[in-house]
Amino acid sequence: MTAATKSGIDPGSFRDPAGQVLHLDNKVFRTVTDHGWTTFSRVWEQDLIADLAAEGMVLPLQRVNPEAAGNPENTAHLFETEKLPFISWPFEWSFSMLKSAALLHLDVHLKALARDFTLSDASAYNIQFRGARPVFIDHLSFRPYVDGEIWAGHLQFCEQFINPLVLAAKAGVMPNAWYRGTQEGLPTADISRLIPLRHKFSWSVFMHIFLQARLDRTAVSGSGDVDTGAMSKARLPKSSLVNMLKGLRSWIAGLQPPSGATVWQNYAGDNSYASSEASEKVRLVGEMVAEVKPGLLLDLGCNSGDYSFAALEAGAGQVVGFDVDFGALEAAFARSQARDLKFFPLYFDAANPSPDQGWAQGERIGFAARAKGDALLALAFIHHLAIGKNIPLLRLLNWLMDRAPEGIIEFVPKEDPMVQRLLVLREDIFDSYSFETFITVIGSRADIVSDVQISESGRRLVRYSRRLGAD
Amino acid sequence: MKRLLIFAIALIAVTLVFQTSPAQAYLDPGTGSILLQMLLGGVAGGLVVFKLYWTRIKGWFSPGAKSSDDGQGAGDT
Repeated sequence: MTAATKSGIDPGSFRDPAGQVLHLDNKVFRTVTDHGWTTFSRVWEQDLIADLAAEGMVLPLQRVNPEAAGNPENTAHLFETEKLPFISWPFEWSFSMLKSAALLHLDVHLKALARDFTLSDASAYNIQFRGARPVFIDHLSFRPYVDGEIWAGHLQFCEQFINPLVLAAKAGVMPNAWYRGTQEGLPTADISRLIPLRHKFSWSVFMHIFLQARLDRTAVSGSGDVDTGAMSKARLPKSSLVNMLKGLRSWIAGLQPPSGATVWQNYAGDNSYASSEASEKVRLVGEMVAEVKPGLLLDLGCNSGDYSFAALEAGAGQVVGFDVDFGALEAAFARSQARDLKFFPLYFDAANPSPDQGWAQGERIGFAARAKGDALLALAFIHHLAIGKNIPLLRLLNWLMDRAPEGIIEFVPKEDPMVQRLLVLREDIFDSYSFETFITVIGSRADIVSDVQISESGRRLVRYSRRLGAD
Repeated sequence: MKRLLIFAIALIAVTLVFQTSPAQAYLDPGTGSILLQMLLGGVAGGLVVFKLYWTRIKGWFSPGAKSSDDGQGAGDT
């Protein structure tokens, strides 16, 4: 659904036999098969989606003539939905983003149940962010509730929401790398082994992690005599289901990120930059945004979001930030939430960005194809990669300019205290790390719109505009 | 004899209380999750779970029987 999305059926939407996501002419459609319509028609006709969309919980959906998308295959009914500026994956979210997505999922489920509908799964990939607000995007997950049915998505909800949150909150381990590795979430049995014993006395941890893992192990290991016939007819009264969802909701709402991820909460007012330098950066960012008017701006190394917010104030449509520091991500997201901004930050290691993964490596598109914006900010960023990770400037700058046709990249010289800090314990093997190399590489592919020195140490903000044919 | 009695009680409970409302099979709900929800869902579900462990408890008292739960075999079927 990003600017880079190709037309055609979304390669990540094959799992649901009821319909698929279709991209065409910068629009996003949902196809519904005849089979899918037998249940979805009831959801549609009761206005469940329209009502939840009006509350901002679900992405709006409009019925259109299948001709609008050239009568796609297996499409009995066609709907158009809102195109989101940037798709992100749960393993890229901060703790608080995953938590707010979990709460939204439970709220949507509870609202649906109140009207005798339910959700057929509980995938975290069914949630996306519009600015700081999560939104439920998988309309075909809704279906009529069958009285007494169990919560089919319970295990998935545990693996994709609860387990990563508990690993962070109760064991102090950030789940993102593991989550990305498994893609489908963290196995309950593994989390049960890792959670310190004292936390297993919590009702929710005991029930949803320890006991569930224990029951599963006993049944699957064959030492127990599991009655599969009874299991296939298992019933959970609706009142029990609602209580379970409400109980999970209040418990998850109380989970806090590990203390290590909150030390930078005051970072915005506590950084090492001189304030005149910061205000000059804000001015240059604002100037670029006012002229380029980007619908989507990418802020690599967004920190707690100062320059992302400056870009929004200057008129950027939506800003997505990227940072490797969980504390900065927490701070940036909290600030965006507090002001309800069109901004969210994502966990991102520039030396190892999200790859294409999932089935046939087409299901969850990686960073390279998704991260294409109208404008780029890479402020106080390049030295972490060029010096910290030995990435040659030529490759680094070209990779940055691949992100957007216009942008600002900050050059941080070797003499700068931040670079000196990176070099203090290692040999300086970076002969080619100079402003001359920097400006030559950018100039070989783009016009230099401006070049302003912003600090006494020699930091410079270079604004580029890619030449046509140089993308 | 005792085993038969327990089994009969569980079976009757299961047939009486678990009316048919099969989960719509878009997603495999997972064995542990179903058993947990059966426990939360009421007495009959509790019996099914109890029976799961009853076999093992019985095993402790049967000469020659050995628990296969050595903590190694979880899930590798």
